[in-house]
Amino acid sequence: MTVEDMKVLESDLERQELEAAGGAPLPASVYTQLLAVYLYHNDLCNAKMLWKRIPDSAKLADEELNAVWRIGQRMWQRDLYLVHVALAQTDSWSEPVALIMDALKGQVRSRALELIGSAYSSITVESLARLLGETPAQALASAASQPGWQIVDSNMILPKKPVPPPGPPLTSEDQLDKLTEFVSFLEN
Amino acid sequence: MATASALEQFVNSVRSLSTSGSFRELAELLPKCSEVLTRNSQHLDNVLETLNVNQHSLGILAVLVAKFSANPQPEQADSLFSQFQDFINDFNVGQVRNATDIFAELCHLFTKWMVERKTVMKGIDVLRKAISRIQTNEAQLTAVHADLCQLCLLSKCLKPALQVLDVDITCILPEYDPPVQGHQFESEHFLRYFYYGGMIYTAVKQYDRALYFYEVALTTPAFAVSHVMLESYKKYILVSLVLHGKVNTLPKYTSQAMMRFIKPLSQTYMDIANAYSSNSITDVQAAVNKHREILERDNNLGLAKQVVASLTKKNIQRLTKTFITLSLSDVASRVQLAGPAEAESLILNMIEDGEIFATINQRDGMVVFNEDPEMYNSPEMLHRLRHEMTVCMELDRKVQSMEEEIITNPQFVKKAGVGAEEDIPPPAGQQTPKAAGIANTYSV
Amino acid sequence: MLSSRRRLETRNQHEKQRSRYFHNKHITKALPAPIEPMQVDMQPEHNENTEEDNEPFIVENPTLDLESYAANYSGLAKLHRLLFIADHCPVLKVEALKMAITHVSFTCNISLYQTLHRKLVETLGSAGRLPDVAGGAASKDFAPIDNQWIEVRSKKAAVLLEKLDTDLKNYKSNSIKESIRRGHDDLGDHYLDCGDLSNALKCYSKARDYCTSGKHVVEMCLNVIKVSIYLQNWAHVVSYVGKAESTPDFSEGKESNQTVLTKLRCASGLAELAGRKYKSAAKHFLQANFDHCDFPEILSPSNVAVYGGLCALATFDRHELQKNVIFSSSFKLFLELEPQLRDIIFKFYQSKYASCLKLLDEMKDNLLLDMYIAPHVNTLYSQIRNRALIQYFSPYMSADMRKMAESFNTSVPALEDELMQLILDGQIQARIDSHNKVLVAKDVDQRCTTFERSLTIGREYQRRTRMLILRSVILRHNIHVKVRSKSAASGGRPGTHVA
Repeated sequence: MTVEDMKVLESDLERQELEAAGGAPLPASVYTQLLAVYLYHNDLCNAKMLWKRIPDSAKLADEELNAVWRIGQRMWQRDLYLVHVALAQTDSWSEPVALIMDALKGQVRSRALELIGSAYSSITVESLARLLGETPAQALASAASQPGWQIVDSNMILPKKPVPPPGPPLTSEDQLDKLTEFVSFLEN
Repeated sequence: MATASALEQFVNSVRSLSTSGSFRELAELLPKCSEVLTRNSQHLDNVLETLNVNQHSLGILAVLVAKFSANPQPEQADSLFSQFQDFINDFNVGQVRNATDIFAELCHLFTKWMVERKTVMKGIDVLRKAISRIQTNEAQLTAVHADLCQLCLLSKCLKPALQVLDVDITCILPEYDPPVQGHQFESEHFLRYFYYGGMIYTAVKQYDRALYFYEVALTTPAFAVSHVMLESYKKYILVSLVLHGKVNTLPKYTSQAMMRFIKPLSQTYMDIANAYSSNSITDVQAAVNKHREILERDNNLGLAKQVVASLTKKNIQRLTKTFITLSLSDVASRVQLAGPAEAESLILNMIEDGEIFATINQRDGMVVFNEDPEMYNSPEMLHRLRHEMTVCMELDRKVQSMEEEIITNPQFVKKAGVGAEEDIPPPAGQQTPKAAGIANTYSV
Repeated sequence: MLSSRRRLETRNQHEKQRSRYFHNKHITKALPAPIEPMQVDMQPEHNENTEEDNEPFIVENPTLDLESYAANYSGLAKLHRLLFIADHCPVLKVEALKMAITHVSFTCNISLYQTLHRKLVETLGSAGRLPDVAGGAASKDFAPIDNQWIEVRSKKAAVLLEKLDTDLKNYKSNSIKESIRRGHDDLGDHYLDCGDLSNALKCYSKARDYCTSGKHVVEMCLNVIKVSIYLQNWAHVVSYVGKAESTPDFSEGKESNQTVLTKLRCASGLAELAGRKYKSAAKHFLQANFDHCDFPEILSPSNVAVYGGLCALATFDRHELQKNVIFSSSFKLFLELEPQLRDIIFKFYQSKYASCLKLLDEMKDNLLLDMYIAPHVNTLYSQIRNRALIQYFSPYMSADMRKMAESFNTSVPALEDELMQLILDGQIQARIDSHNKVLVAKDVDQRCTTFERSLTIGREYQRRTRMLILRSVILRHNIHVKVRSKSAASGGRPGTHVA
């Protein structure tokens, strides 16, 4: 699923929810998907709001929905380790949710790696394992696969700050044009 | 039958005035018909059938208002909802803009009904449509805006409201010129919109925008302090503390009534703000605990808890100003956290949110506070600067065009030209001070 | 904004810091529960005053020779100062009270006599002696209250009062201006002698209408100033100093005026000191003329040295200190009277902070026994210390905090706390490398700062302009909240509808 797909899915689900309002109850899977998409976008406020407005009937009937929300709660509490634990609790997701959850897992992991890279100059294997939700051995392997990360004394990892992706290039003509506009604005 | 003929008469007037295109006249006639319509509520569906949504929008509008005013029965709910929906989808904009006040009333009644029936979410889509159809541009505030926000808040579904709220208001429906008697935009709708908007932004943690909305509500001209303003002020204080760590003084143009009465009316919140200024978590916590009941009653307890949490963050930010390196246990003791582990996870969160620039060194149990790494030399930064600059320029153009509009306004020219002759009755009250206000601020 | 000066400090740290440096071992607080330090922090201007004025403190090891100290003062100044010492120094209490009683017995100040005597009885009583025991060692130490003296003095005072009153009436009926003026002054003197300050002030002030020359006006002003100082009515002091200075005949050049001028400077200095305007106080005291410093009813030349010197040290920058204090030929003479203070100032100037602060600490007890400077000692000391810290670091790009702590007689963690405060106050442009214990000067990148500022200003402009556009829309539509509107949202008289 691409980033774009996820956005489309989000607005589509949101529309479904709005249109169904007041009518026949929606299948719980719509809520589950929407909740998962919000989590994928790290849009925790809206996830929380959604959870609050989901009818009790759906909450009581659908275990999967609850499982997704448990992950959301951990994300809200900002405890990466517990997020991993919650993610690992469910092995297989139902058809439409599974795709999103896979993407979410990947997202959580890459965000964790990026954060560790930018926030730590040195980190123990144990801490790294917790933040990645892996065993120490797995964590060592993960660290080794990150470009520029070093492992010293067999249990201390020296991460490297991630390089921000290059932005869109600017043509000098375009720049000059803008600059002229600004200067004429400022001088008046 | 006298009543039937009255209804017939109504239908006839609607038809003939609509056909002749005298919508203004028809709009003025409608309020006089409301009594007849309400009295004959059982026949209103028949009336609706004789009228066409698009050709006789004003007539339908009046009938729907009467239907909603007459305490609709639950079994009518579906039909009434679809009648309202059909109307919103198909009404003739040109006609209805002659009766924006009645249109607003219909939407208020509809909203009230949705709230009573506890089907708040159901109303969101149709109200959103109502707004986008009646307004002449998306930056125009209508009396329906507040209703939409209300439904969104009640249904905890905030996104539809945010789409509306994110657009800055630059005008209001009905347009001012020419002023139409009875088309006064109620301050109530205005205040509610900005108060609800503030609450919605607070809920999604867009505090800067929330503060802006509360501030608009607070500084609305007032001869008395309304509940909405008071509640806005309370939230304004808390959000200010979360965002800025202090409460800024209100702008000079805040009304006298507000300035004078607001502080004694919100003592609890002033207490919290005072405690906050000591930078002591214990003091702030104590103030919040002391006023727990009031905060709970005002529905501000959650926000107050965020105020407490924000102080720890503020204190850590303060450490970054004084230290280059500090041990995690020193961080913990200096900002009153349980231990180095808690300090580490908080710092990690703050790094992720871009609230501090720091690097944790687990080998030595230290944290290094860095300076802002932004060097202002990347293409992204250039883009951002360009964007900010463009926004400023657009705003400036807007102000300029508003100024021109005033300067070329015949009433203004007349007044400005005549000068100090005071015996001329001011035709439109606020003209001169408004113009002067804009000119002054612009020159600053 | 004031409170922002003291950020992040927990009570404990704050309290520790204070006591570490300034409540040294000689001083113990008399009350078990002193005023909460954080409360003071919230409104320093207001509370600190009352805190330090009222907080009872006790000086245990003064090195003051009471006899020679008291000899510097006359009249009420001597009495007030002795009483202040008696109240704050148990070691000197009995001696101070006795000395005061001896002195007061030459005046008609009966109530003060009684107060002093009562205090003495209480002190001796609490020390385990029986006040009424006659003979033996106790009687040598202690004289019972002299009721006969009280009687004789009361009568004498009453008679004198009546005579002065009658005289004044006579002068008035004869309308001789000069005599009336003198009559008022005499009556004022008498009230002062009786310790009736408010009546003394009234009489002195009344003389104003009968002044026929600039000299008289100045004299009147000086009388009023003197009594106002006794009453600690500083606003009054300031206004009469102003009056005296603006008197036409009063020109600064004249030799005879130097004494008056010095008195005025001293009075202003005291008033500014009491108002915590230390810099301005320093400037006033520094203008005193040593050869004409004769003001025993208020202060001594060595007081001028101490008040002026400390205030200058706390508020002057290095250059000002050099120019106005160290190289001042006239103030040099004052400082000779207080060699310890002179050393302190020179050591400070030579950046020998450790010995400077040590000397300051040594002289602290005696300062705390001075009624005018005592309430300000802690504030002045901490300002001096801060100034020293700032000055110490000013030439460096980075400084070893261990060495720095040594130079300031303190520990590294305590220094860290102090520096943190100064950095937050913006007094030191640096940050602390707590890991390596180094203080590092801040490197400010002008270009980045400019960018940052422009972005902030741009944002601010956008916000303001949006608000402005909206506001003009509000006004154009005449939107305003009316009084007593039906709806709850837009109505309500404040206080009634809104609860």
